[in-house]
Amino acid sequence: MPAPAEVGRAPGPPDGGWGWVVVFGAFLSIGFAYAFPKGLAIFFKEIQDFFGTSYSEVAWVSSIMLATTYGAGPISSILVNRYGSRPVVMFGGLLCGVGMVSAAFCTSILQLYVCVGFITGFGLALNLQPSVIIVGKYFLKRRPIANGLAMAGSPVMLCTLAPLNQFLFENFGWRGSFLILGAILLHCCVAGALFRPIGARTALVKTPVTEEGNDALKGKITEDGPMENRTEEEEGKDCFEKINQYLDFSLFKHRGFLIYLIGNVLMFLGFFAPIVFLAPYAKHTGIDEYSAAFLLSILAVVDMVARPATGIIANSRWVRPRIQYFFSFAIAFNGACHLLCPLASSYTGLIVYSSFFGLAFGMVCAMLFETLMDLVGAARFTSAVGLVTIAECCTILLGPPIGGILIDTFGDYKYMFIKCGAVMVLAGTFLFIMNYYNYRMLAKEEKERKRKEEDPKSVRTEDEGKKNWNKDSTQDGPELEPLREKGERVKKEMNGTVEV
Amino acid sequence: MPATFSRRCLGCLLLLLLCTRVSGGTPAGPAVATEKLKPASKQNSQSVSEHEIVLSGAPVEKSVSVPSPTKVELTCKLDENSHLKDPQVTWKKGSETISHTSKSRNSWTIQLTISDSSHLGTYTCILKGEKELSAVFHLQVPKIEGREKPIITYEGDRAVMVCKTEYNPKAWIWYMNMTNGTGQVSIDKVLPTDKFLIKRQSAKVSRLEILKLTKEDRGVYWCEASFDLGTSEARFELRVLSFTAPLKPFLAIVAEVAILVTAIALLEVYSKRKEKRGEKESDQIEQLKSEDVPRRRK
Repeated sequence: MPAPAEVGRAPGPPDGGWGWVVVFGAFLSIGFAYAFPKGLAIFFKEIQDFFGTSYSEVAWVSSIMLATTYGAGPISSILVNRYGSRPVVMFGGLLCGVGMVSAAFCTSILQLYVCVGFITGFGLALNLQPSVIIVGKYFLKRRPIANGLAMAGSPVMLCTLAPLNQFLFENFGWRGSFLILGAILLHCCVAGALFRPIGARTALVKTPVTEEGNDALKGKITEDGPMENRTEEEEGKDCFEKINQYLDFSLFKHRGFLIYLIGNVLMFLGFFAPIVFLAPYAKHTGIDEYSAAFLLSILAVVDMVARPATGIIANSRWVRPRIQYFFSFAIAFNGACHLLCPLASSYTGLIVYSSFFGLAFGMVCAMLFETLMDLVGAARFTSAVGLVTIAECCTILLGPPIGGILIDTFGDYKYMFIKCGAVMVLAGTFLFIMNYYNYRMLAKEEKERKRKEEDPKSVRTEDEGKKNWNKDSTQDGPELEPLREKGERVKKEMNGTVEV
Repeated sequence: MPATFSRRCLGCLLLLLLCTRVSGGTPAGPAVATEKLKPASKQNSQSVSEHEIVLSGAPVEKSVSVPSPTKVELTCKLDENSHLKDPQVTWKKGSETISHTSKSRNSWTIQLTISDSSHLGTYTCILKGEKELSAVFHLQVPKIEGREKPIITYEGDRAVMVCKTEYNPKAWIWYMNMTNGTGQVSIDKVLPTDKFLIKRQSAKVSRLEILKLTKEDRGVYWCEASFDLGTSEARFELRVLSFTAPLKPFLAIVAEVAILVTAIALLEVYSKRKEKRGEKESDQIEQLKSEDVPRRRK
């Protein structure tokens, strides 16, 4: 039993140790989730010939997969809230495997839509969100680095899957390749096995330490026990609170979350289209097919390096407290690259553009989830990520077709680049301004809180409305096994530093 | 097509990133503009097709597809920045010289009427001055696209071979090599219709489907398109595998995954036991300490 003097000095998230193994698992998992839909494109021509369909009908497979991966976000969040990351990821891996193996026996394109699109897509969704969530549980001080490393899985997997898929296709045809890819996707189960559940920073015992607990880093506080007591009293809110238990809709009142949501939804309108159209644009300016493909390789390699590097930068003393500004800057930088792209018409110009684009793309992706964690705290992140991905789902799918329409109407690529650039610069500026406002409001609320600290408190108080959702005491959720909490430390989320 | 592995990788990276596009379809922009930009070719309403090469230094070759009898104009143009002044120009087909006309100061043209296959071939323009520059036009029957790599299929499945071209051929014929080595046999004649299906999807595309594949179906297949001026061929190689071929790697990978997962689980159980043992020991030490104190007091 811990001596009484130790109460109040609970350990924070490990920030290392097994955490790095978890990062590796997340690296695999996230890599599969993002890279797999793109890697399937190699098989499309063969499938198109085999089933006698048009190209667009086959491309729907990829789109359905992407849509399901993003759209099933909330379901993923609910499952993680209930069962923890590990079982969800392992089930997701199994589902992916089953989906691809059944796809190997498909006899029509509709069956492919179901097996590859829905089933595998859903499996990947069950991989993506929990991986991101568990990284947030294992790290606080070094979270940006961990996030950057985990997100680097996407370009690395893409560069691995592309030649691998080509090799499989040449040796086994599309059916055999799908079978073997199903087995390869089972490695997501291995990644899931690495996701050891970790305790939340919750107080099992009411401590005399006052908790300014809003931004306190809690792993995951489930409202099971106390909630049930309360809901019996407040029957009017019964159903609503039950839903909130699994998916925290109160996030929609959270200022930071709303800012992030609007900014990101806007950004994704212009995010993916340039990648899709880079090679056709290069061919349009007279560059041959292989050099055009080389541009994409440059992009991937720079991306691979940029993501961990951004993580390290974002973790530094100067950037971490103001990480939202860095994120807005990255988005605006991305937009500026696109706006300048039409000026680059020679091959060297396009190489420069690809490098900068790869850098900007990596920067944005590395911080995509880190900033959300920063705003809502790792506890509510589970629900937040689900809600954000389903909202982004629409704009992600709309982006490239809108770009395609612009290209068709004007017959020129520059309008597509201008549109993407403008949208992203707008998103970046919006995020910058709104986060400035948010930081100021938070500073004000902080001052308020310090003022209130004059009064003695024995219970956690419900402070300024925004970022709190305190419960009196908590029950262990499925994630809380090994690390028992002996008390709680006050942490200031926004400053990114831990007050010891 | 260059055959190095890295080039193929780049090719597939290109393909895979292209295909993240949603069903917006292929925009008209790139489809129009993927012709080679340097030499321009036009077709005017009197079916005279004009083709031009601009010479600047390195020798240039261009393929011109002639599907049907037509008039063709070939032009060699000197780049404005070239230092070659007043060169001596010769047009040749093989060893035969052809008379040319000069449309403008730096361009020289020949006009040809292609009415049968003897008029197809290689036409060269040579510019002699301080340096010698040359350009080559290959006039030929349109090529048809097949598949260079072998098509992999499985027993009991069906194989689909698609032949495409950009022009309208008069007819498509499919041949296969008989396995007893007697040469090519036209598939139309062999034709058990539950085994071989030939569909002409459009004028430009022909499709051969072979159903209920067996190992004997493997081999080489030919697709031939006949145009007014000749025929062109494409080759397909069909390989029929049994389903155990991919099954072996599949089972190997599944076994590997199972081993890894069990190993991780065992590692975790082991480390938890160690932790519990460690905790027990520290508890015991604490107990002994606390027992010590009252004893001392006594």
